[in-house]
Amino acid sequence: MLKPASTAALAAALFALGGCERPEAPAAPVAAAPQHPDFSGLFFPAGRQQDPQRPEYTPAAAAALAEYEKAFQLDDDPGRYCQWPGMPRASWGAPFTVEIQQRPQDITIYWEGYGMYRKIYMADHNPPEAILPSAMGHSIAHWEGDVLVVETTDLKQYPYMTRQATSSDAHVVERMRVEERDVDGQKVKFIVNELVLTDPKVYKTPIKITGTLRHRPDLQLLEYTCTDALWDEYLSERGLTLPDMDALPPPGPQP
Amino acid sequence: MTKNLGALLLAALAAAAPAAAHHSFAIYDMDQNINFDGVVETVKLRNPHMAMTLKVTKDDGTTGVVNFIEGAPINMIVRLGLDPADIAVGKQIKAVGAPLRDDPHSYFLKAIILPDGRRFSVIN
Repeated sequence: MLKPASTAALAAALFALGGCERPEAPAAPVAAAPQHPDFSGLFFPAGRQQDPQRPEYTPAAAAALAEYEKAFQLDDDPGRYCQWPGMPRASWGAPFTVEIQQRPQDITIYWEGYGMYRKIYMADHNPPEAILPSAMGHSIAHWEGDVLVVETTDLKQYPYMTRQATSSDAHVVERMRVEERDVDGQKVKFIVNELVLTDPKVYKTPIKITGTLRHRPDLQLLEYTCTDALWDEYLSERGLTLPDMDALPPPGPQP
Repeated sequence: MTKNLGALLLAALAAAAPAAAHHSFAIYDMDQNINFDGVVETVKLRNPHMAMTLKVTKDDGTTGVVNFIEGAPINMIVRLGLDPADIAVGKQIKAVGAPLRDDPHSYFLKAIILPDGRRFSVIN
């Protein structure tokens, strides 16, 4: 929907182009759309704090952790096999570029690391229903002043006990805001995300995590295809060698 | 800027754990810094870990191949300013490796050093 100012500008432009009569001004003034902070842009992770530092597990989760630690080593890691960390782990970010695109109806976040993406739907724009449990879950947001409050549900379980495990009952509430900070004498935009993870099956108390992203418009969102090494391993096991297309000779003169 | 980004990458890598660290590196003897000087034989510009083999000439004049089975994510390395053309097959480079504990002929690629002295590394 066009904002009032845009509508007026469009009407003026049409009038100038077409030479038609200026339309009558609307009878009643239209309230201006509220101006919300803009999270759009390229960012880079810039820190994370967690409270409590060492989460207190429920007795059942503590038993699961003990079993996990007996059987799994650090190298038995889902990230190495390109499993998305998902929410809430993605929110504080691996050290790769993050791109955010904000529209009135939704916000899309692309993480270069693992090639992850996430949709946040605005509650006042007829958001869709959750369809499947997923790594990023189903996120619905509303504004409280300049703070974007995002609730995430419908997460699938993440049973990697040494990497902030979560059950499918996990519930995440984020409070995201834009801050302008002085960095080396220059004003720099930061996004501060205060997140609370509640998962009564796994943790005795909610975990509070604050993640910060720094605006870095000079960066690019690079491609991150995580599965190349896994494909190479498969080819090696099968004894297959791919042709090297770059080694093909250049075309000779046409007959 | 590149230096600042390197510091930021390291800080973010530390802050992002456990989401970013794929594994413990315990399979490597990371205290070692073994220097190699050779010609790039193969290179995999990929994530989550780049890989490379380097053809080196030994002291006795024979040649051998050093296998860097993994290194930093290529996205991190190019973000530090490395041009992939500088490590293309056939390029002369220096490299620093940490050997695999179970196979001292395979290494983690800790650093790439170009002929002009520029060094690219996200691990000290």
